[in-house]
Amino acid sequence: MARVDLQRISKSYPGLKVLDDVSLSIRSGEFFTLLGPSGCGKTTLLRTVAGFNKQDEGQVLVDGAGIDDVPAHRRNIGMVYQDYAIFPHLTVADNVAFGLLMRGVPRREIVERTGRALDLVQLGGLAARLPHELSGGQQQRVALARAVVVSPRILLMDEPLSNLDAKLRVELRDDIRDLQRSLGITTIYVTHDQEEALVISDRVCIMRAGRVHQIGAPQDIYARPATLFVASFVGAMNVLPDVAIGPRGEVALGSGAPSRLPLAGPSRATLGIRPEDVVLGDPPEDPGIVLGGVVTKVSFAGREAYYRVEVSDGPTLLAHVHRPHERPMAALGERVTLTLPTGRLHAFAPGEERRIEMRQ
Amino acid sequence: MSGRLRLDFWTVVLLGALAIVAALLAWPLSSILQASFLDNRTGEVTLGNYARVLGQPFFRTALVNSLIVGAGGMAGALLLGVPLAVLTTRYVIRGRHLISTLAVLALVSPPFIGAYAWIMMLGRNGLVRHLVEPWGVPVPPIYGFFGIILVFSLKFYPFVFLLTASSLRTLNPSLEEAAEGLGAAPWQRLRRVTLPLVLPAISGGALLTFVLSIADFGTPSIVGGPVRVLATTAYNLFTSEMTGNPGLASATSVVLVTLSMVAITLQRWSVRRRQVAASLLRRPVPRRLGPLASAAAHLACYAIVLASSLPAAVVVYTSFRKTSGPVFHPGFGLDSYARVVREVPHVISNSAMYSIVAVSLITVVGTLVGYILARRETSLAGALDGALLVPYVVPGVVLGLAFVVTFNVPPLPLTGTATIIVLMLFIRRLPYAVRASASILRQIRPSLEEAAVSLGASPPRAFGRITLPLMLPGVVAGLLMSFITALNELSSSLILYVGRTMTMPVRIYLSVLDGEFGPAAALSTILLIVSGAAVYVVFWLSGRNESALL
Repeated sequence: MARVDLQRISKSYPGLKVLDDVSLSIRSGEFFTLLGPSGCGKTTLLRTVAGFNKQDEGQVLVDGAGIDDVPAHRRNIGMVYQDYAIFPHLTVADNVAFGLLMRGVPRREIVERTGRALDLVQLGGLAARLPHELSGGQQQRVALARAVVVSPRILLMDEPLSNLDAKLRVELRDDIRDLQRSLGITTIYVTHDQEEALVISDRVCIMRAGRVHQIGAPQDIYARPATLFVASFVGAMNVLPDVAIGPRGEVALGSGAPSRLPLAGPSRATLGIRPEDVVLGDPPEDPGIVLGGVVTKVSFAGREAYYRVEVSDGPTLLAHVHRPHERPMAALGERVTLTLPTGRLHAFAPGEERRIEMRQ
Repeated sequence: MSGRLRLDFWTVVLLGALAIVAALLAWPLSSILQASFLDNRTGEVTLGNYARVLGQPFFRTALVNSLIVGAGGMAGALLLGVPLAVLTTRYVIRGRHLISTLAVLALVSPPFIGAYAWIMMLGRNGLVRHLVEPWGVPVPPIYGFFGIILVFSLKFYPFVFLLTASSLRTLNPSLEEAAEGLGAAPWQRLRRVTLPLVLPAISGGALLTFVLSIADFGTPSIVGGPVRVLATTAYNLFTSEMTGNPGLASATSVVLVTLSMVAITLQRWSVRRRQVAASLLRRPVPRRLGPLASAAAHLACYAIVLASSLPAAVVVYTSFRKTSGPVFHPGFGLDSYARVVREVPHVISNSAMYSIVAVSLITVVGTLVGYILARRETSLAGALDGALLVPYVVPGVVLGLAFVVTFNVPPLPLTGTATIIVLMLFIRRLPYAVRASASILRQIRPSLEEAAVSLGASPPRAFGRITLPLMLPGVVAGLLMSFITALNELSSSLILYVGRTMTMPVRIYLSVLDGEFGPAAALSTILLIVSGAAVYVVFWLSGRNESALL
């Protein structure tokens, strides 16, 4: 259990700023995820905490004490890798025992703790196997046991699920979460998979090009994305770029009377709406922007149907319809009406693309 | 890890390696380059040496001859190696392991064994000549182009065979299946899809045979007869007391190195933009041939490998024949071995000692430098990597001459010592060991070592506990291969030896020139047996991976 503070961390390689003034605090026992596209700096940040990268500026504090001068092997940090990094010449048990051996733990205790750790990841029967006899999922469980058996202060995971197939990914994801909860280890998890991040984390930090875009609980990030990038990266977002806004929030879009948004100030904004918030067909009671368009693609996926609608003289929008089998579906080429309820719209400042809060 | 230069252990290793390269490659080679521009008598700077080498018919013939035997050796090796690779990887051939073992043995047998074994078979009193000529079968004279190219083809085809076969074995079979599905007949499939895809391997093997052929000294000087090539010319220019001319010898050497470099550039250029990813999941399955075709394929495969192992068989057979002095008698005995032990015991111990010392140095330095090249991508490491390409293109004769020119005088007078021979073996083979250990390391993911560090192992401990054990089989295999080549090295040792530092290959060469085939065969057999045993261990360590031998 440990609290981790990253203070104003920067790191550059020639011609590339990998981390740009990153500050964040991770609470003790928290499951904290760094999420972002590849090259956003998330792995570099993780490896800075592990001690495999040296930042140019800033410091890493664990429980308030700087660890920048502590070499990687003395940091007592567990690490799980994307490629498992299981030692191929050692048995499963010897892999798990490695960290205990390095710490000079007595033989008998090593055997006992190794056994317990393997039971914890449901590999009790495979202790004597060599890694090449194990599946990818099993190897990653060994890596997990090996990382937690030494009771590290912090557990770091670098895309541990991305080499596994979809079904295994979901299964192991839940196991990792349960294990972390039961052990209460402060965990920093790196992924580029937004769904994985939302499901597994207490809090998520979204990064892009070395900068932090937003830190928050998954539901907050989804409901109130801080930037247009976050809005599009986490979940899907329809974007109406650079829309003119009147002095009292009037939007001259679509047919009928201009809608009014609870916005004051900006004369232009980029508007966004999630596909599941778009209403297809008869306009609802709630006020909204009403648009007409032609269906150019229909995909039925059982629980939902996905429509692509080309708005006349406007953008192409996606609409997700729940329980589509309960009502007649719009056909390809059909003219339909779309309503974008004003209460569900997100607004972003054009240019810098930060979120503009609407008055409630 | 930061890109800045810190004076840690690995930086010291890097600087040490650069110092080695400077002392053992840059310095000697620049001396020879310098000498090539100096007039022999006046000591003035001149282009006269080059004018003579490129202009006088005497030297031009040598240049042309080098190109002929290089191209001939390459063509022969392709003609034998490519079909053998295609047949053994694409069709069911019985005894495939035997075939590749025989090919590998041809590869590691001392290079000039072929030359004099073929003389014993096809020479004026040759066994085979006596056997077939009465039946009216014409046998061309072995001395000359025919002999040189025959020996090169049979000696060097295993490079083409092993490289091509390993590329064919990992070629994604879907590509060939797709060609078949699109209507390509077997021959078209081979010509239009399979061979173009393995072209980088084929041309890599071809290049290697060309470079080795023009660099080879022993073969043309034993079976060349009237045919002089650049390597023998440079050697004679340098060593003959009457007409010795270091300036001319140096210019000839520079021309020889230039040829190798041109060949390498051409090969790189021809395979540019050709990157075929190997398929590790699915391997092509050999097909069954019809009975007639199968018989023909077996005949072709076995004819090639048996022809190439014939010299070794002849040598072993000869070594056990009864002799008195240079005369062979009917029956068998250990006379030749007795003579070797009685007359030249020191060449055996010299060979063993020099090879062991050189290989120990190679293993330590090669592993450390390989680690730097694989794990530290700095500009200095890049420079080192480039410099280590040099021994691939510099023939043994040339480097031998360069060593003599450089280390004959202070500050480092080494000529006539065992040290100079060991240093030569060391620098000639070091790049291969560096490459081998770097490529092994690139297969060991750095995350393994990091995981060990994060689990509490200090970096040296993590290297010792995790990386080193994983590298070990590859390192030992590389060590044994270096040992074989060090043991069999002729050309540079021939230039550097004095009586008391004579090695087995030098003794064999001199015995052959004297017509003393018995002792030569006995020494060759000893070399063959040691090399074969080393290969056996390499196979055992690398799980029968023949590419570990290259």
